[in-house]
Amino acid sequence: MAHFEPITKEVKKGYFAIFPGLCKGCGLCIQKCPKQCLTWSKTLGVYGTPTVIPDKGDCISCGICAQVCPDCAILLAKDKQEKQADA
Amino acid sequence: MAVQPAMPRSWRRESKPHKFCPGCGHGIALKALGQAIDELGIQDRVVFGCDIGCSLLTWDFFNVDTVQTHHGRTTPVMTGIKRANPNLICIAYMGDGGGYAIGAQHLVNAAGRNEKITVILVNNTQYAMTGGQMAPTTLPGQKTETTPYGRDVELTGFPTQGPEMVAAITPEGAYVARGTVSKIRQLQKMYVRALLNQIEGRGFSFVETLATCPTNWRTNAEKTWAFLEKQMPEYFRVGELKVPLTTEGAEEA
Repeated sequence: MAHFEPITKEVKKGYFAIFPGLCKGCGLCIQKCPKQCLTWSKTLGVYGTPTVIPDKGDCISCGICAQVCPDCAILLAKDKQEKQADA
Repeated sequence: MAVQPAMPRSWRRESKPHKFCPGCGHGIALKALGQAIDELGIQDRVVFGCDIGCSLLTWDFFNVDTVQTHHGRTTPVMTGIKRANPNLICIAYMGDGGGYAIGAQHLVNAAGRNEKITVILVNNTQYAMTGGQMAPTTLPGQKTETTPYGRDVELTGFPTQGPEMVAAITPEGAYVARGTVSKIRQLQKMYVRALLNQIEGRGFSFVETLATCPTNWRTNAEKTWAFLEKQMPEYFRVGELKVPLTTEGAEEA
């Protein structure tokens, strides 16, 4: 099973995880975010392009970015407990 | 183990990240297809056929039996597999070049015979793998490599209305729809219905999927969505064109 390392960030309703090993930096998620809270991150993705990171205060964990991502590079979990259990 | 990406179970993780360009609509369409396969629990019975063009990059995409065929010949190969073993669920996955240009004869004849296979055709309005030449689906006035002044409909005709054609020639029992990768839930429902139509042996299932191609459209993310959501549906109407009478709840989409 291939293994991908996530970069997680806690947001209001849970956490946001981005997998730089999958993100190609297409930016489709940035356009689709209803809160316009995704921005380019300093971390580089698999093609050497920037990945994305949400603004902690604005993200509502709606999951649209994860839905439109062609590479399944974004994961949104609504439960903060789950992260500790998994990690 | 740390959190892992939420990929559909039928995806092959070893081959990820997949080979498509950043922002390619194939990834979203195949995610919806993977979710549909997961939802129906048919991963062990699916035979996936991919065409030539960008769609051939799916040859190691799913954890299902996959065959890659000559250009446009995915439909007859899947027809043969289905006839040899009717228990299998055959999905022919192709681009608009494979379906409407070189493989149009096969699509028309398979639809006319009402073969019990599922055809998924991804329409990104040009030949993407070879560098963005004009395809049968290029929109009027759209600039491509071979139409630098925009497609002239006087000279090259109007774009192919694939699902409309298939809906017109298929007998009763066929499922024909057009989805778009900007409406993923609707697209996934269409795939589920198309696969169910085949599983229940009613007839031909055809889903055209409008998809993005930022590389050859030469668009940024904002203009990519604008082209997909505003310009393409003006010519290609999204929705279900032909639904078998027995499909439950089909009228809601």
